[in-house]
Amino acid sequence: MIIRRLLIANRGEIAARIIRTCRRLGIETVLAASDADLESVPARLADRTIRIGPAPSARSYLDIAAVVRAAKAARVDAVHPGYGFLSENAQFARACDEAGIVFIGPTAEQLEAVGDKLRAREHAIAAGIPVVPGGAVASVSEAQKLAERIGWPLLIKAVGGGGGRGMRPVREPAHLAEAIELAMAEANTAFGDSRVYLERLVLSGRHVEVQILGDGRDVIHLGDRDCSIQRRYQKLIEEAPAPELPDGLRQAMHAAAVAFGRRLAYRGLGTVEFLVDREREEFYFLEMNARIQVEHPVTEMVTGLDLVAEQIAVAQGQRLRLRQSDVVLSGHAIECRINAEDAALDFRPSPGTVTRAVFPAGAGIRIDTHIEVGAKVPPFYDSLLAKLIVHGADRTQCLERLRRALANCRIEGVTTNLAMHAAVAGSEEFARGGVDTQWFARFWQHVAGGGGKAEAEASRAGGNHG
Amino acid sequence: MAEIRLVDVSVRDGNQSLWGATGLNTAQQLEIAPVLDRIGLQALDFTSSTHMGIAVRTHRENPWELIRLMRAAMPNTPLQFITTGFRFISWETADRDLMQLVYCKLVEHGISRFALVDAMHDIPAVLDAARMIHSAGGEVLVGLTYTVSEVHDDAFYAHFVSEVAKSPHVARVYIKDPTGLLTPERARTLIPALRQVLRGKPLELHSHTTIGLAPLTYMTAAELGIDVLHVAAGPLANGTSLPSATRIVANLRELGHRVDIDDRALAQVVDYFTRLARAEGLPAGTPQEYDAAFLHHQIPGGVMTTMKRQLRELRLESRLPAVIEEVQRVRAELGYPIMVTPFPQIVCAQALLNVIGTERYGQVPDQVIRYVIGRFGRPTMPVDPNVRDRILSLPRTKELMEERTPTLKELRERFAPGMPDEEFLLRAVMPGDQVDAMLAAGPARRRYNPDSRPLLKLLGEIARRADTARIVVEKPNFRLELS
Repeated sequence: MIIRRLLIANRGEIAARIIRTCRRLGIETVLAASDADLESVPARLADRTIRIGPAPSARSYLDIAAVVRAAKAARVDAVHPGYGFLSENAQFARACDEAGIVFIGPTAEQLEAVGDKLRAREHAIAAGIPVVPGGAVASVSEAQKLAERIGWPLLIKAVGGGGGRGMRPVREPAHLAEAIELAMAEANTAFGDSRVYLERLVLSGRHVEVQILGDGRDVIHLGDRDCSIQRRYQKLIEEAPAPELPDGLRQAMHAAAVAFGRRLAYRGLGTVEFLVDREREEFYFLEMNARIQVEHPVTEMVTGLDLVAEQIAVAQGQRLRLRQSDVVLSGHAIECRINAEDAALDFRPSPGTVTRAVFPAGAGIRIDTHIEVGAKVPPFYDSLLAKLIVHGADRTQCLERLRRALANCRIEGVTTNLAMHAAVAGSEEFARGGVDTQWFARFWQHVAGGGGKAEAEASRAGGNHG
Repeated sequence: MAEIRLVDVSVRDGNQSLWGATGLNTAQQLEIAPVLDRIGLQALDFTSSTHMGIAVRTHRENPWELIRLMRAAMPNTPLQFITTGFRFISWETADRDLMQLVYCKLVEHGISRFALVDAMHDIPAVLDAARMIHSAGGEVLVGLTYTVSEVHDDAFYAHFVSEVAKSPHVARVYIKDPTGLLTPERARTLIPALRQVLRGKPLELHSHTTIGLAPLTYMTAAELGIDVLHVAAGPLANGTSLPSATRIVANLRELGHRVDIDDRALAQVVDYFTRLARAEGLPAGTPQEYDAAFLHHQIPGGVMTTMKRQLRELRLESRLPAVIEEVQRVRAELGYPIMVTPFPQIVCAQALLNVIGTERYGQVPDQVIRYVIGRFGRPTMPVDPNVRDRILSLPRTKELMEERTPTLKELRERFAPGMPDEEFLLRAVMPGDQVDAMLAAGPARRRYNPDSRPLLKLLGEIARRADTARIVVEKPNFRLELS
């Protein structure tokens, strides 16, 4: 099977990123775009653009029928879903299969296996991977029994949740009943699924994830990433490899991620997320993301690989082109997510029109963006403008380059979080490396003087997510 | 009307004919590999032991790694290795076991198709090599080497093809016309004669555009039911290379034949090589005029390029016509070897020495001696008695007659036990310091962007100037500032 024409069912920087690789591979690109994106940079880069619906994503990027219709009309061989939107939607993967179109991602069954947190956790246990002590509960009394076994404090999560939504910390037994009832009601409203589960709350945890790549038979890992710099479970800065991680722990995590992928006979790119308990020097399986990640460029910078190309290769039915020993990590990479949001107003999204865009260039610097002067930042979608990715021979050089690069970056017309990134890059604690998921909230509270209180509160939940 | 498939020769024969085989490094090939893979080729004429040697010597890149990476980047297209069946990198005839190891390693790294060409048309030797290659897991494409001479008539070729086509180890046959001498007229008798004895095995045509005949001959061949035509892309076509893929496809379709390829991918390949040639200052092949004199000297493109370079280095460019004249004489004296590797190299080396030296055959390269004493097989016609006597009386000839090809076991003993086969095979046939330098250079770059070359060069030069503190490149909506 050879993919010659491909539909990109996404927008923004990742659409531009996918087009870049397709062009290099000789694949014709068709962009599925909403009304809001018909004049975007990706629409101009793609060989063709097909309108799939109005601006709101529910009626365009999330509309399975509309996307499949576009794919059929354009007679593409494959669909690349990017991240977010339909990227982990098993129903969409099935609809593609039925239309005879290759879905660039894992099988529908694999999406289902990892999309349901309880099932993912069962697979992890079966693969011998440590998980955070905990379990599902259907009632308050069950929750009380389980909570005694897990210990305090603990965390309530919605089974159907994600991206930090539907999570709630509980610090003492007296508040459990109320919290469970509330969480179940919320979960039902938000996800149409009232199931919740409880787990041990790790007080100082780091978010470390391992990139895996499988062809349905073999699975290898492409190293790890640290994504502990988060605000309300949204990643802000990611780096590869995770700094200040004991070697034994790192290797055990790599092996665990590969074991998880092997258990599923995984096909495609995937990220196995772990919570690293800093005090116990242990790690727990959190979940698996069955798609390309926003932060994939840091892995590309240290491995020299093009992950989108590898994704396309295995989707074409090819065997892995790399052995584990071929994956050689070199240097250090950090990514900053430059968002259109106003840090002074509680990081409120700041849509608008970009009037000036100056991106740094130079050795080790990579910019993934769909932004240029005149680009519109619509209010309908996430606020990611660009990813600044910096590579250096080691973390020290990488940080130096990052600080210089941030100083040379200017985006006007919309408010951005560039100043926040500069503050983090300049901080001594971040430079030392290995901070936990609560660090950013504390840091920002300090920088912004009280403005970060809400973050501190939310983040105390342990940042078990990403 | 026929269904015609294509073999693209750009990176191997195109590169060799027009760019002295040194034009493309690992990154430059890898960058376009995924697009080449999407064209829908029968095979990619990819490498040879000459190219592997150049990877080590010139680019300091590991040729085994290149094969492996190309295989990974081109899963849908068989990668072809061309061999005479009796040597690997070095010009020396190699031990049989060594050749078997070479074939096995090539297959292991991703070569799946072998063009086997013995210009002597020594049937037992070809069948033996075919068996070895086939047992290593490779598909064998046997080449008959086309030339114009009294001996090489249709019956001669039909006999050769009839014998090789009987072998279960031979999958396909091709007409290799290294100097582009095949006319449409001759194709009308030759191709049907071969078809009769092929036992249904596919027939391919590989004709150089040296004197402009090939594009026309290809149309005749298509009409006669050829299965596969060999072509090159963009600047790597024409000149002493092969016909242009784009033009051949258009012409075949014009005549009503079917060519099922991805035209968009082919156009992208052409565009890439065009930008690369421009960025690297490499000459683009141009359509050739018919040249009747060429029928005499028959020097293939790659050899001609090398000879011109050697003369240029000696500042004797003006002697080229004299050397070409001498090539014809030497070739006659050596019994009309077909001008295909390694024979044109042998003939031309002697011709060059005859012209720049004080007397003819005053200096005789070892390869010429080896040819005369039969190390490359039996010449199709006897060597001129005077030349033969002169060479046989040389003291060096006695030494070479005692020369024996070292066995694989003997070669192994020269190197550390446990050395990987790939490194061993390079060390066995190349100077150790070249292999050391290649290993010291580390892994090859894997990405190449022709468009950034001129800018990077400009910036590099400006940056070297001590009086420049800041560089600003500005145009509407764009400003690049370096400090």
